[in-house]
Amino acid sequence: MTTTTPPPDAPEAPTNRPPSMHRVRDWAKRPYARSIMILTVIIGFLLLPLCWLILAAMNQSGAPASPIMEDIETTVFVFTLVSIPITAFVFAVLVYSLLGWKHVSGDEVPADESPAIRSNTIGVVLWTVVSSVLAMFLVVWGLMELASITANSYGTVSADEQPGGDQALIVNVTGQQWVWTFEYPQHGGLTSDVLYLPKDRAVYFNVTSKDVIHNFWAVELGVKIDANPGAITQTGVTPNKLGTFNVRCAELCGLHHAYMQTRIQVLEKDAFDSWARESGAGRAT
Amino acid sequence: MSTQAPEVLSPTTGESMATVGRRNTLALWLLIVADAAGTIALLISYTYLWSLNVNGGWAPPGAKLTAVETNNDIPKHMQGSFAPEWPFWAILGIVILSTAAMWWAYRSGKAGFQTALVTGSVLSLLLMLAALIGQWVQISTFPFGPSDGAYASAVIVLCASNIFHMLIVIFLLTGMVNRSRRGLINQQNHYQAQATTYYMTWVSISVLLGALVTTFFVVSPNTDPAVFGSFKQMSSSSAEVSPAPSSSPSATPSASPSDKASGKASDKAASPSPSAS
Amino acid sequence: MTTDVTASAPTGASAIVFGAEVAQPPQHGKPGGIMRHLNFGTGLLTGIVMAAVAGWVTAALTPTSASNATFAPDEPEYVYLAVLIGWVIGFMLGMGAFVGPIRWLLGRDITHADAEYMAGKDLGVRRYFKFTTDHKVVGIQYLVVVMVILGFGGILAMLIRTELGVTWAEVFSPTFYNSIIGTHGIAMIIGMIVVMSGPVGNFIVPMMIGARDMAFPRLNALSLWLLVAAVVCLVSSMFVGGIQDGWSVYYPLAAQAPPGMLGYQLTIIVFAVSTAIASVNLMTTILTMRAKGMTWSRTPILVYGTFAASLMGLYAFPFFQYSQILGLTDRIWNTVFFNPVEGGSVWLYENLFWLLGHPEVYVILIPSMAVALEIMPVFLRRPLFSFNFAVAGIVGVVALSGLVWAHHMYMTGWAPAVNYPFMLSTEMISIPVGFLVLVAIGTFWRSTVWTRLPLMAIYAVVFNKMIGGVTGVYLSDVPADQYFHGSMFVVAHFHYMLMGAGLFGAMGGIAFFFPKMTGRILDERLGSIGLWTAFAGFQITFGSMFVAGLQGQPRRVLQFDDMFNISNWISTIGAYVIGLGMLIFLAAIVHSWRSGEIASSNPWGSKSLEWQTPTPVPLENFAVLPVVTERPYNYGVPDPYEAEMDKKDGDLTTVGQVGPR
Repeated sequence: MTTTTPPPDAPEAPTNRPPSMHRVRDWAKRPYARSIMILTVIIGFLLLPLCWLILAAMNQSGAPASPIMEDIETTVFVFTLVSIPITAFVFAVLVYSLLGWKHVSGDEVPADESPAIRSNTIGVVLWTVVSSVLAMFLVVWGLMELASITANSYGTVSADEQPGGDQALIVNVTGQQWVWTFEYPQHGGLTSDVLYLPKDRAVYFNVTSKDVIHNFWAVELGVKIDANPGAITQTGVTPNKLGTFNVRCAELCGLHHAYMQTRIQVLEKDAFDSWARESGAGRAT
Repeated sequence: MSTQAPEVLSPTTGESMATVGRRNTLALWLLIVADAAGTIALLISYTYLWSLNVNGGWAPPGAKLTAVETNNDIPKHMQGSFAPEWPFWAILGIVILSTAAMWWAYRSGKAGFQTALVTGSVLSLLLMLAALIGQWVQISTFPFGPSDGAYASAVIVLCASNIFHMLIVIFLLTGMVNRSRRGLINQQNHYQAQATTYYMTWVSISVLLGALVTTFFVVSPNTDPAVFGSFKQMSSSSAEVSPAPSSSPSATPSASPSDKASGKASDKAASPSPSAS
Repeated sequence: MTTDVTASAPTGASAIVFGAEVAQPPQHGKPGGIMRHLNFGTGLLTGIVMAAVAGWVTAALTPTSASNATFAPDEPEYVYLAVLIGWVIGFMLGMGAFVGPIRWLLGRDITHADAEYMAGKDLGVRRYFKFTTDHKVVGIQYLVVVMVILGFGGILAMLIRTELGVTWAEVFSPTFYNSIIGTHGIAMIIGMIVVMSGPVGNFIVPMMIGARDMAFPRLNALSLWLLVAAVVCLVSSMFVGGIQDGWSVYYPLAAQAPPGMLGYQLTIIVFAVSTAIASVNLMTTILTMRAKGMTWSRTPILVYGTFAASLMGLYAFPFFQYSQILGLTDRIWNTVFFNPVEGGSVWLYENLFWLLGHPEVYVILIPSMAVALEIMPVFLRRPLFSFNFAVAGIVGVVALSGLVWAHHMYMTGWAPAVNYPFMLSTEMISIPVGFLVLVAIGTFWRSTVWTRLPLMAIYAVVFNKMIGGVTGVYLSDVPADQYFHGSMFVVAHFHYMLMGAGLFGAMGGIAFFFPKMTGRILDERLGSIGLWTAFAGFQITFGSMFVAGLQGQPRRVLQFDDMFNISNWISTIGAYVIGLGMLIFLAAIVHSWRSGEIASSNPWGSKSLEWQTPTPVPLENFAVLPVVTERPYNYGVPDPYEAEMDKKDGDLTTVGQVGPR
């Protein structure tokens, strides 16, 4: 094994190590390094459309209908964007390793061995710094967005000092096997199995369950919270688009879990009020 | 190896018994880690339910009678209260005595007093049997059954875990008595006695932890728990507050659940039925 | 003084054990004693008889004892529970698991001849059907059991995809569909937990560290046969209503479940005991039985990996086990731990469950990654790139694994404030996992690739791991998880991790160690076809499952809106391709095992200890215990660039020496 000559791209004078910047510049001149960088860029650009394709898939049943869902989509977009370079680099190395570097096949243990690189300070430090910085960025971004959606779902304020006051609509969401029930305490305890919401008005949900754990998922509104028996969970949203949206149960709740879904109807304020009046009156009689 | 005359060798692997002993002791510590994780899971369950007092269901019905007005619906057998605390400590005392006896037996055996080793093991075994009986008596005289609230469940399962530990110790101690009597545990080869004392020390600690939580975490700190089925609404200045969500939803379930849980739930007479019967 | 020992053994016999003359306890009867008459057949027989008797007695007793109790579960509950307990105890009794403890109790210690009989000396094929203590036999038994479990889970997976692919009709009743998703989940989890630490951990690791056997050979056999007993409980639950609540069996849904839930609970309780025993055994072996000179820096990475997995299993599994014990008492004793009406809490269950649930993911992943890192140096003919980083990665994952469980509970509303710290810890875990990717990438760097099946599987692993990792970052983020939680996206993500990285790594590992374990080379062509077919099917299935998740399809549903049809059709087609690929791979294993090319003792030219033994491996592994004098993975030619650095960190090899000298 010792007869193998050093690879042609290795520097001639190993004892005289050049400073780091020189080493990086030397390294960048090597043919495989250039190829991997190019490959990384190519794969990166091939992956780039994913940023938008993912959003397209998420929007298939309807565009975001609340600030929360907009935040969620921004986050997903940013995360996709940020993970593309590192993914592209890893894939580029895999591809180049299969196509670029030397190959041996057959049953015999190969005679020519690879360079015994036990470590590479620059590479290791670079990787650690880059991956830590990326992770920190994702954490910071995530924390900020979490604070934002928490504010938008009124989760940070206590029950007594919620914004909106009179304007806020309260909806008591109750899950039970296998239907959702929406109750409007401000409208005389009116109940409905379709979630009617006014546009541009804060809505608070008090979510609970009568039997097993369900998960109240208002898909296009970006609202998701468990409906637990024995507990009330609270969240909220301000719908900002008119239309029909979906509520699905996102926690296995037994036999007909798959069918535990209903509609959300976001109406203009006037339309909502008249709906509430009519339905409430209908209920009262 | 054969030159080292006093060294005892393992009959199966030919290694020094000292090496085998160290290895066994290490493995025992690791098993104690697993056992401790299980005990911690129980303690977490106890303290978690204690702190939440979900649906006001922590205390046994009898204990609640003092705070709330009398409820005639509560059956006679459920009118229990919290368990008295001294039996937990009495049992702990016996377990600690048993452990101390085994420690003494082990130290004596190590020093070459074979008779003391046997005597100590027998004493330890008898004490542990007494603790087992005591634990059994305690469980059977609790003023509540396992279904009388979260406190009752947690205490009974903690005691059951004590019984499980005691049975293991009794198995080990029976072996100790028999083996030390036959001279299989002696001055040269005593790691099994050592391991037994280590395990018993852990068992004492776990019984102690149980006694601590059952003594100091009795009345739930959550004195005003949301009662499931009639929970408070978020306050809102102009909102008409409805006291409870409608118990008959406008839509009927697509299939009626005829299940055990809701059957159980509807049996709870004290609070509104949450089941969709 | 010293005569005391032999005085207790009246015969005063001695035996030659590995060259030393050792005093023996008295021999009772023939070597092996009653173990001579016990085998898998007697285990089955005793198990079935005891199950039948227990069930019959319970059936006879229950109606009278429970007739006045209001909360009494149905009679079948008690009968089924009794049957299961009877089965487990009877099976272990019939296998001879209790012989050792009873002999210890009676003071009839095991002699060298007994131990040799129990290790399967001169028993031929029969030793695979007994309570055999030889770690190599246990390893093979584990391999077969694991393949059966994964095959069972795989068939269920095909049924699930069939149901989801047939969008125009219900193929199965909702009850049966729910029971197959639950059973598929838990069967696969159990299978994946043992797929590497079972066969490889038992067969290879003791040899890799230069030991003659595991530290506790009888515990080794015990852990295997407990697993078998547990798996029978799991399969039996299919016939009494099944596990209808997903693998996580959340309460109170699980309280409604038919008696099949008892099968789940018993399975987990027994399996956790098996795992604890196996973990303790493996950890003790690694800590105390490494060959002379095998310092921590000279210990192969796979040893670190199995050690880490054992450690996580050891502290995390009891939480899962106790969650099921409490669930069992809820069912049988009417305790109220998870019954919110009476003061129990559903969040308590979720916390206990996920305290295991997340470390368990790494219990599966770390051994697979470690096997990958073990394979790479051999086929790339070079040392592992940055061994220290590989170790740091594993240590980091272990350290963080216990601090991230609540990311499964972001959307439960349990405690919204803790979402912040758990998001932090969860995203931090990408850094140590990134170290492992770095080591893999660094080892591929500028290497000559020996394109054999084990290495090619590693390409698949790194590829899938990347996708699984990136999608994991989405899920670790609370805002994004608010959309993805409970959707098919989650399902696709963890299949990329557990199957894409875990199972493909295990396939590579099996291909790599196959020559040592069976004495034959795994058929390269057939194996590759199987691997790549499965890989292609895998990308199709779970790629389009990502799409279904993005569109908003909840998981564990049997029917869905028409908008999800196309992605589900594609997914189902892919699943059949995976099934085909796995069948081909299985055929390669079976074919090669029976009539494959005979392997030399070291077909890959590896330098680690396990390949220095003859094949088939003799009972005592090493005639003379080896001494390790150099770092692992000493392959490759000097790289001029690195020569200086290598010299520098070469001095560090003796740092941190622990264990026997």
